[in-house]
Amino acid sequence: MDEHHRRNQIFSIIAVACLFLFLLSMHLYADDYQIRILNNIALFIILAVSYNLINGVTGQFSLEPNAFVAIGAYTSALLTLTPAEKQMAFIIEPIIWPLSVIHVPFFLSLIAAGVVTAFFGFLMGFPVFRVRGDYLAIVTLGFGEVVRVVANNTQTITNGPLGLKGLANYTNLWWSWGIAAFTVFYIARLVRSSYGMAMKAVKYDEAAAESIGINAFKHKMLAFTTSAFFEGIGGGLLAHLITTISPTLFTFFLTFNLLIMIVAGGLGSITGSVIAAVVITWGGEALRVVEEPIRLGFIEIPGIPGMRMVLFSLILVLVMIFARQGLMGTREFTWNGLFRKIRAWTHRTAKES
Amino acid sequence: MKRLLVVLLVLTLAFAVMGTPAAAQKKGEPVRIGMYLPMTGGVAAYGQMEHAGVLVANKMQPTVLGRPIELFLVDTKSDKIEAANAVDRLIKKEKVKAIIGEAISGNTLAGGPIADKSKVPMVSPTATNPLVTQNREYVFRVCFIDPFQGEMAAKYAFDVLGARKAAMMIDIGQDYCVGLGNFFAKSFIKQGGKIVAMTYCQTGDQDFTAQLSTIMAAKPDVLYLPNYYTEVALTCKQANELGLKVPVFTADGAQAPELLSIGGKDVEGVILTAHFAKEAAVTELSRQYVANYEKETGKEASGFDALGADAYFLILDAMTRAKSTDGPKVREALANTKNFNGVSGIINVGPDGNAVKSLVLLHVKDGKFQYLATVNP
Repeated sequence: MDEHHRRNQIFSIIAVACLFLFLLSMHLYADDYQIRILNNIALFIILAVSYNLINGVTGQFSLEPNAFVAIGAYTSALLTLTPAEKQMAFIIEPIIWPLSVIHVPFFLSLIAAGVVTAFFGFLMGFPVFRVRGDYLAIVTLGFGEVVRVVANNTQTITNGPLGLKGLANYTNLWWSWGIAAFTVFYIARLVRSSYGMAMKAVKYDEAAAESIGINAFKHKMLAFTTSAFFEGIGGGLLAHLITTISPTLFTFFLTFNLLIMIVAGGLGSITGSVIAAVVITWGGEALRVVEEPIRLGFIEIPGIPGMRMVLFSLILVLVMIFARQGLMGTREFTWNGLFRKIRAWTHRTAKES
Repeated sequence: MKRLLVVLLVLTLAFAVMGTPAAAQKKGEPVRIGMYLPMTGGVAAYGQMEHAGVLVANKMQPTVLGRPIELFLVDTKSDKIEAANAVDRLIKKEKVKAIIGEAISGNTLAGGPIADKSKVPMVSPTATNPLVTQNREYVFRVCFIDPFQGEMAAKYAFDVLGARKAAMMIDIGQDYCVGLGNFFAKSFIKQGGKIVAMTYCQTGDQDFTAQLSTIMAAKPDVLYLPNYYTEVALTCKQANELGLKVPVFTADGAQAPELLSIGGKDVEGVILTAHFAKEAAVTELSRQYVANYEKETGKEASGFDALGADAYFLILDAMTRAKSTDGPKVREALANTKNFNGVSGIINVGPDGNAVKSLVLLHVKDGKFQYLATVNP
């Protein structure tokens, strides 16, 4: 235990309180559009941080989050829809029996989403971790596709291509940010535990890790299942944020977005994932300005849709040139680090003056 | 002298440009109409066509209630999350009075509840999933729905083609194909027909011979393909090679020039259900629109842009009848649309938000889509 433990704890509590006050003020004064963006940010923090656990921390390049998010979203949505709503939406084939009558509160449905997704992740881990590297990426990519096609064609469970709609808009600032905070806290603790150390060892050299007695397969599975659990919960939140889901939501592009976030933030850095999730989600909306027509007195430049994607790509290219490892590399934010920086800075300015 | 002319020209132009906003302000504040469309991403082609249609329509009719119309476009990247963001942005930030969009059903399902909550009427040009308007007070559409298209195709196959045994091949990777295929099968069986072969493929497949062999063995009277143009064209090619001689029936997803360019001779005789055909332009508005569209863009008018224009005209019509741009009043007017002479035909809209309108049947003849018949509901 380091000497600043107590101070750091106090600062952490203050930071959480500040976040709470910020959310409270947004809850009271912000309009729906701003609140939606904040919810999106929290959601992507959950998804990116948990995806980073398997891709960044454990170093297993996999491409399955769209599958996990889909499983979580469907699980949670099917549990919170009322039997009457389900009956009305399933117009091609009726929904199968146990699902047609089950109706549980939102929180329970989220837990169920996490558990069911973790279970699928656990099952999937056995075959996929028989391969490594690029092959792992391909196999997990295939799994994502399989889940989407299954969702499209299991008419009696997912309502197939029609999708589910009319979900209650349960996801508010408190749920999304509460769970985001918990996810960050939990995964940060996990990474700092001996399990996390072992995961990092597997990332840097699997053979060396095995030689000192680390069971690589077990730790990969642990990271994968934990990641699946949080992706599933994220899926449940997503479903109740946009209030409708269908297989088209869970294409590879969802995975791709998350991949951009964790690579731009730094593979293996939780802080980096959080920063990238905030910047990319918020930036995507803020940059809409460049797609709007610009009126300069007499001249009117028509807006070009897709401009913000061009700008985004440019920014990504710059990040990759000037910060190969992403914004944060594998570094993390700590209070000690912050105070060291401040002290160094005050020393320097004191010397200069 | 020349210089004087140039100066004069510049001055008149400058006054013309300055004059417009001044004149507009006299008539009143502009009416803001928002569009959320997939301008980029997977289904960008649809969004761009619809956007082009709305722009042409806007040129034809730039004012409502004596006030100019200001259009706002927000891109959805063909994505649900972005679609929800876009609708919130249009309503809260741009303060639009009505919304056109989205092009595909999944994204309209995401935008609909927000329009309902804020009481802003929304008209989708091409969201055909029946759930889009279900229980949504403020969500409307100008296209027919998939169950209707499937039912009419089944009826036509049964009554006119005299088919009793149908074979199908559904692209299971596309929500539209699975949905429409299901509706067709359901109606065809209800009519008294039989589905003798149900086969599946995936978007991007190149080889359909295995499925076609199964279909040939079942000896169907008609082959129904509720798929997109690429798969339909390739299927027709291989069916001809194998010697499968049954009428091929497909739907609005195949109405693209690519069907003809990929399929060539092999798609001759293919029948399809569609929203709009230039040849079936029945109203005065559609004739004007077709002419204007070709003049503005240099391209032929097609289903998607025509429906985009219809969404725009329908909103204007409702505002005129409501004599207001107030959300609930426009919604009332939209829900009581009777015999509106739109671009794609005569449109009736009920309180359920769905358009009741005719459907056109086309067939491919001499390398072109040609008008076959109009089917009324």
